Amino acid sequence: MNEHELERAVSRLPKSIEPPRDLWPGIEARLRKGRWNWYWLPLAAAAVFALVLIARTVETEPAWDVTKLAGQPLLGTARLTASGRLRVGDWLLTDDSSRALVAVGEIGELEVKPGTRLQLVAARPDDHRLALARGAIDATVDAVPRLFFVETPAGTAIDLGCAYTLETDSLGTGRLHVTRGEVEFATGSRSSRVPLGAIIQTRPVTGPGIPYVEDAPAPLVRALAAFDFEKGGARAARNVLALARAQDALSLWHLLQRVDPTLRATVYDRLAALLPPPPGVTRARAIALDSRALEGYWTKIHRIHFRRMTLRGVLEIDPRTGLRAR
Amino acid sequence: MPPPDDLVARAQAGDQTAFRDLYRQHAGRVYALCLRLTGSAGDAEERTQDVFVRLWDKLSSFRGESAFSSWLHRLAVNVVLNEARTTKRRELRVMPTDNPDVVGAQHAPVQSAGLSIDLERAIAELPDGAREVFVLFDIEGYGHAEIAQLVGIAEGTSKAQLFRARQLLREKLDA
Repeated sequence: MNEHELERAVSRLPKSIEPPRDLWPGIEARLRKGRWNWYWLPLAAAAVFALVLIARTVETEPAWDVTKLAGQPLLGTARLTASGRLRVGDWLLTDDSSRALVAVGEIGELEVKPGTRLQLVAARPDDHRLALARGAIDATVDAVPRLFFVETPAGTAIDLGCAYTLETDSLGTGRLHVTRGEVEFATGSRSSRVPLGAIIQTRPVTGPGIPYVEDAPAPLVRALAAFDFEKGGARAARNVLALARAQDALSLWHLLQRVDPTLRATVYDRLAALLPPPPGVTRARAIALDSRALEGYWTKIHRIHFRRMTLRGVLEIDPRTGLRAR
Repeated sequence: MPPPDDLVARAQAGDQTAFRDLYRQHAGRVYALCLRLTGSAGDAEERTQDVFVRLWDKLSSFRGESAFSSWLHRLAVNVVLNEARTTKRRELRVMPTDNPDVVGAQHAPVQSAGLSIDLERAIAELPDGAREVFVLFDIEGYGHAEIAQLVGIAEGTSKAQLFRARQLLREKLDA
């Protein structure tokens, strides 16, 4: 191997590697310990006493039911023989031949596919939260939006009342496919709205890609990936515009917000030609990324998309208007 | 999830949930750095935890003059290198040796998945000094002057260690 080959190999090393286990519980314990002061003692004693009293009457530790579906999933360090309880901080592991069903509190359930590692992070009525370190889940939730969260190495899937399949490797390369309702997938700096019948790819560091519909043509999907993950820039964006159809409006709505400002007008014009904006949404406001204009446009795109998806096989819907195609 | 600036501000105000979100956003990047600098998966886990505990204490001093991720990265490098220096001093006191490579050789090897596993393993097996300079220069993009300051060596030593590291890596990967 020469100097140049070594350089190339080094440049391909991943910038991020997920720790093999969740280190947060250890960090959290040390943060608490670090803030301990003697003058808290009377208060702490009172708290312990109160907790003991409560513990005698009710089970305080929240936990979700887990049922084995196949093989021998591992719950914490024990084999799951039939069913068990997943407590906050517990890991659930499935190998190549095992699957499990987890009740998401009282709002839903998820099937844990083979080869998955997940942890229950929070189990409160207002925060049902899992960390999916790797593998795949099929989630079905029937609740108001933003109660169920799945954290992955590439970002967090936020349930907006839906059913979806989410898969990821330990670095964050993955895929989200929504089959009912809508999911938001967000990192600190980027988010994607994924309605039913749409898919996003995820990558480490970058996070969620631009969503596309299930039947999007392969060249369009490739152009979106080039834009999102391969630094395709203006060229990839122009490819997306050339390949997009009216039913791909949801992709262009996201693209509008991610392209270089100099390209926004071009993206907007293509989007408006494929699916005209609703009254009140002007070109200037949309290009300025005015939040009300974008929300107004999204509402129309989403309504037409939803109608098209739910009436698939029943009625042919015009993807420009949402009305019955003539 | 809120934007990173918002998370940092909330964590600075003592919000531990925001701090946990910061951990989840940056753990992979910090762990990768710790893993490569220490050459040991076990040590990398410990150092990653140290970094975030230190971050919690130091967060109030972050003024936003640089990107938060760059600031955290620099903090992580300092935590790992300080610990390496302390450990080396402690181990040399109880196990005198003329060969510093012996200390590095006692670590458990890196268990890392992926296409670059051979290179990762070869980096982990480098002598401590050579590995630190290689990781900081070739992977993390620091300059020799900066590395000399961080590691506490002369600039010329940093260059020599880099040369040695690259040579050892090529030999290991060709073997």
